[in-house]
Amino acid sequence: MNRKKIAVISGKGGVGKTSLVASLASIAHKDPFNKIIVLDCDVDAPNLALILPPKTKENIVSYDTFTTKKATFLEEKCTNCKQCYDEHFCEFGALDWDEENNIPILDYLACEGCGACKVLCPEDAFEINPVKSGEIIAYEADVGFPLIYGKTKLGSTTSGLLVSEVKEHATGLKEFNDANLILIDGPPGIGCPVIATVSGSDYIIAITEPTPSGLHDLKRAIEMVNQFNIPFGIVINKADLKSASQKELNSYIKKSSYEVLGRINFDLSIPKAMSYAEPVVDFAPESESSRSIKEIYKKLYLILSLKN
Amino acid sequence: MVKPKIICVTGGKGGTGKTVVAVNLATMFKNKGFKVLLIDGDVENPNTYLLLNGKLKNKTEVLYFLPKILEDKCNKCGLCAENCATHALLHIKDSIPIPISTVCSGCKLCYKICPTNAIEADLKVIGWIYTSSAFNIDLFLGELKPSEARSAVIVKTLMKKLEEVIKIDQNKYDVVILDTAPGAHCDVEELISQADLIIPVTEPTRFGKLDLLRIIELINLLKREYKVIVNRSSLLGYKDKFLLELEEKGIEILGDIPLDEDIVSSYCQGIPLMEISRNSDKNGAGYKSFNEIFENLLKWGEFLK
Repeated sequence: MNRKKIAVISGKGGVGKTSLVASLASIAHKDPFNKIIVLDCDVDAPNLALILPPKTKENIVSYDTFTTKKATFLEEKCTNCKQCYDEHFCEFGALDWDEENNIPILDYLACEGCGACKVLCPEDAFEINPVKSGEIIAYEADVGFPLIYGKTKLGSTTSGLLVSEVKEHATGLKEFNDANLILIDGPPGIGCPVIATVSGSDYIIAITEPTPSGLHDLKRAIEMVNQFNIPFGIVINKADLKSASQKELNSYIKKSSYEVLGRINFDLSIPKAMSYAEPVVDFAPESESSRSIKEIYKKLYLILSLKN
Repeated sequence: MVKPKIICVTGGKGGTGKTVVAVNLATMFKNKGFKVLLIDGDVENPNTYLLLNGKLKNKTEVLYFLPKILEDKCNKCGLCAENCATHALLHIKDSIPIPISTVCSGCKLCYKICPTNAIEADLKVIGWIYTSSAFNIDLFLGELKPSEARSAVIVKTLMKKLEEVIKIDQNKYDVVILDTAPGAHCDVEELISQADLIIPVTEPTRFGKLDLLRIIELINLLKREYKVIVNRSSLLGYKDKFLLELEEKGIEILGDIPLDEDIVSSYCQGIPLMEISRNSDKNGAGYKSFNEIFENLLKWGEFLK
């Protein structure tokens, strides 16, 4: 099976990841050769479901994830020796000392669940337990392909692990065996959840805009992707923006000889399509931006030889 | 003022204008004679200095624990690997464990429990901190090294630096402005939890609203005060409906910023729209709205000067 996983990332937020994924998914799905699955790995702010709602409420599968672990203090076992505090068991500042009651206090948010306190306490007065970290939601979208996304429980410090969980759910679907294209909407940034998103991908699309921040963050995203040796292509959104960064972006691309998959000029049909919660290629198929996205798809298709 | 008031600019969704707002608020405080520090806590993609035409200076490394196995001392018992929560030590029976640096959480448990003291606390660079200034605004900026994951450590290092500075001189700054990453993860949480006033920046789109509601949930969880700025408010004529929807949910608005070419060009130039030395159109929609937001902010935060 020639199955390709493509992840869309950007470094900078708000440059058009989700809009591009929705449109590419729509184009790919209309091609009868393709069987696609779409994932939203921006677990902090999952938005793709707004454009790709479920076919029926009945087909939504959702469940809680417990990828986070947290320490619990067992007062009945504590002998008040204070070793945990004095000897600095916790490296994350989650263990403080309550002078009044002569017992340790745990900071729930700061705790990383590493288990150091549990292992090191001579009286076994700490326990490590899994706690709810978020949700996985999966369904057949009204347009006819599976969508899976994750949503963190706020304050659970687990974005990266939840991303891996979203990807794992996809591999367990009955549709997975037949799927030839897994399209992933990634989070902004280049940190933990983005690394979890790109790991195991066959190809990365890095989308940017010709502004100082857009270019700066693109370079950082590419630096990260290069560390993982994954091939990638660049999409330039708002490509006709009047900006001094145009020159710098062009010379960066020329010098590096990185692949440019396409340029999308600013076109009001994109924000309009978003306000109607539709992929722009369906909302305004003849618009300039839709035509550009179709060209991007064609290029992607050739690069990845999606058809066997 | 005993200690500086800390304002945190955040937003949930990426690209809503957090950095533009943070930089211009800092500029307006400076214009009024306040001593301002701007902290760029979007360490995955720090951009404030680009909007201030600033240079990054005074680079210092942020170091983080990494276990180093002393082969001559190791008795290959595997206790370290057995107890490593993130499986950052690979142990094959009767051989020396191999550390996998990318997944190490830095809890140091291996180092603390090794019965033969065969683990040394080594350090690796996971990012950098810079301090500089531009347009009379001091700037602390953190940068995560690409391919490293522990961005929260860099954010914490920045906030520790602030604490040190205030300890030495309580009156060094009147106002500190924090610019956060998009999302609602640990980095953002750390900065929100340390601020007095939170300003989430959103835009009148469905995405903007959904992500705003999530960041407000986090702000409420951390029991902080907030008021919202609606950026690009004139987009598609959706403004009134959007503001009404927020009002119905009991969300207070600090102000709104309509689409304005002058904001975009100031952004690309690297000179804040509200910088006195810049030739901004004082009657421009963006300029007026920033002034209004600033007046509201002075009242809200009871800033005296």
